[in-house]
Amino acid sequence: MIRSRHAVLLFALAATACGGGGETRTVTRVVTHSSPGGGSDVFLREMIPHLSRVMSGTVIVDNIQGGSGAKAIATVAAAAPDGRTLYATTPTYIYTSLLSRPEARYTDLEPLVNLFFDPEVLYTAADSRFRSLRDVLDHARTGPGRWGAANPASLERQVMEQIKQKAGVNAAITTFEGGGDMLLNVLNHTLDMGVGELQEIRGQLDAGRIRLLAVVGQARLPQFPDVATAREQGIDLAVRKFRGLAGPKGMPAEVIAAWEAAVPKLLEDPAYRKLYMDNSLQPGYMTHAEYVAFMQKFGADTQAFLQDAGVIE
Amino acid sequence: MALLLPFTYGMDPTVAVVLLAATYVGAEYGGSIPAILIRTPGTNAAAATVLDGYAMKQQGRAGEALGISLYSGFVGGIVGLVVLVLLTEPLSRVALAFTPPAYFALGVLGLSVIGSVSGGSLVKGLIAALLGLMIATIGTDPVTGTSRFTFGSPELLSGIPPILVMVGLFAIGELLAQTGEPGWEKASADSARIRFPGPAMWKRIARPQAIGSVMGTIEGVMPGGGGTISAFLAYNEARRWSSHPEEFGKGSPEGIAAPEAANNTVACTALIPMLSLGIPSSNSSAVLLGGFLIHGLVPGPMLFVRNPEVVTGLYWGLLVANIAMLILGYLIMTPCLWLVNRPKPYLMGFIYAFVVSGVYSIEGSLFHVGVALGFGALGYVMRYLKIPFLPMVLGVVLGFLVESNYRRALVLSSGDHSTFLRDPLAAGLLLVAVTFIVVTVVRHLRAGREATA
Repeated sequence: MIRSRHAVLLFALAATACGGGGETRTVTRVVTHSSPGGGSDVFLREMIPHLSRVMSGTVIVDNIQGGSGAKAIATVAAAAPDGRTLYATTPTYIYTSLLSRPEARYTDLEPLVNLFFDPEVLYTAADSRFRSLRDVLDHARTGPGRWGAANPASLERQVMEQIKQKAGVNAAITTFEGGGDMLLNVLNHTLDMGVGELQEIRGQLDAGRIRLLAVVGQARLPQFPDVATAREQGIDLAVRKFRGLAGPKGMPAEVIAAWEAAVPKLLEDPAYRKLYMDNSLQPGYMTHAEYVAFMQKFGADTQAFLQDAGVIE
Repeated sequence: MALLLPFTYGMDPTVAVVLLAATYVGAEYGGSIPAILIRTPGTNAAAATVLDGYAMKQQGRAGEALGISLYSGFVGGIVGLVVLVLLTEPLSRVALAFTPPAYFALGVLGLSVIGSVSGGSLVKGLIAALLGLMIATIGTDPVTGTSRFTFGSPELLSGIPPILVMVGLFAIGELLAQTGEPGWEKASADSARIRFPGPAMWKRIARPQAIGSVMGTIEGVMPGGGGTISAFLAYNEARRWSSHPEEFGKGSPEGIAAPEAANNTVACTALIPMLSLGIPSSNSSAVLLGGFLIHGLVPGPMLFVRNPEVVTGLYWGLLVANIAMLILGYLIMTPCLWLVNRPKPYLMGFIYAFVVSGVYSIEGSLFHVGVALGFGALGYVMRYLKIPFLPMVLGVVLGFLVESNYRRALVLSSGDHSTFLRDPLAAGLLLVAVTFIVVTVVRHLRAGREATA
């Protein structure tokens, strides 16, 4: 990613130059495996201007692509644990660690704090005969159901497999290369329902082409108070697709404290709140201690799922 | 293109979108210049242009070849733009008609042109295509998510990008072969200038351009189809309908016009699913999608209602970009021609540096450089065994599409193969593919019999 390195260098130079007056500002590099313009990249770049209001120092984004995140994880794991190099976490880093067993895995990083959850929703085409999750499940009881998830080894696939298991129905679960591909197959009725992040389907949802069936989370979404959770519809399942930060092991306590102080303020900032609500993100602040425990459980659950599905040994 | 994205963060959304769109058009065309001059397609879609483009260059007709490609690219771009402006709504429904069985059939149709791009030997073409299909199985299994042939290397998790295969086979293989041969004659002054086609040539290439534009329109609207299939199908069809089919592969102007018109039409029509469904159909339109999202523009039917100024700006931007491409292309091609007529040691050194840095810059990965060099060595061997490259490229590009949709379709039908015949679109495409294959085999058998008689 020679280009983004250049961009980063420029930003870094600009940041040092702007610091001026002999005052040295700390530059924190947040590494993401997302390409420029990809999900995590856009998320980070939108967050940084707001972050700078509640935290001192400069934060820059460094896109280190390749190996589905393995390279980004390795870069951060090898960096000095001074809080200047952080990693933007998403479930991808757990999946890649478990699937390809790279040298540096998620267990080599220390979760710092969590910021958000991406609500996962179940949806169908607006002109389909399914009105709720129950309809889809009833259909799958009488005949073969056809469900889709964006990627073969992903949290979304896990959601579908677990619904199938919990409901005890007969459904073929297909996977695609990315959410767009699957969305198409929901729109043309090849699939009874699909699962994905709210953000991916916004364009079609706003145009009234798709209907939400259920929220696979702890509670209903404030933007869509009428859409019931999976749990309310009889499927005891809630997942949390996290977005947070991690760093090399052994970060100093004051770095952790600084982030623990800044993030709650950031999430309450009215301007940023409007932005992230528009982007359908759920605030999901977790302290360092909570995040470490959460990640351990998430990793263990994912490993169990992948083993059950026969994906890994 | 991705290089430019960070610079648009601070811009007005319309300006940013226009800038990105213009770069996108330029990049889609630009891939053809190295395809003709140094036998290295700069983009996947430019692979078909290599066949006749490089053949013309070797005959000292590089200027003419560039002129035809630029002119055909312009025609294709304008046709694509008109289609984009007028037919976005109806064509976005075409995209919806494609189910997994239909995508599978489309991939098979793409593979069925192997016979046409194999040069002399169908068997060698099939060997190359099979190698390509095998390479396409490296990476993550599309259904189970298991890693295949990655040998524990995370670098291989997402598979081998086709561009590395192409750069290795074509460019590095060619460099290796050239290094072992004596220097070339200086090109005559005549070929060192770009030459736009005259009226007689316009007439001759009008039909392949029309074929290319139609192919490009159809392929562009299907997410995942992309320019490569359309360029190869256009090449194949142009040859079938040509009055000089024997010239194809040996420097036919029609063999440049058809794929060039096709891949530049795709550049515009690929924006149809991107704008109306929010689904990018190629890597570069995915970057464009990122550009939209960064500026808070959500592609989808509502984009036309909420941000009409951005959409209109995009249309004008594309028009200006196409015209600018014609002018700039004309201006930079003479220096490009000058460059490739430099003494061989300088040129070779320059291309090595150019290719290696280009490969490195895709993801900043030395591993990629190694992969490309490895394919360069393979290309060198294949050159001496006279095994054609293009079938292998087709295999690599289409292998995953064919495999993943085949398996997806079977998962959905619980293993019932009749699903491919029950989907009318899939059945139709498969029928066309079977016809292609039968015709090619019969033609080869007949040619073989005549040769022995």
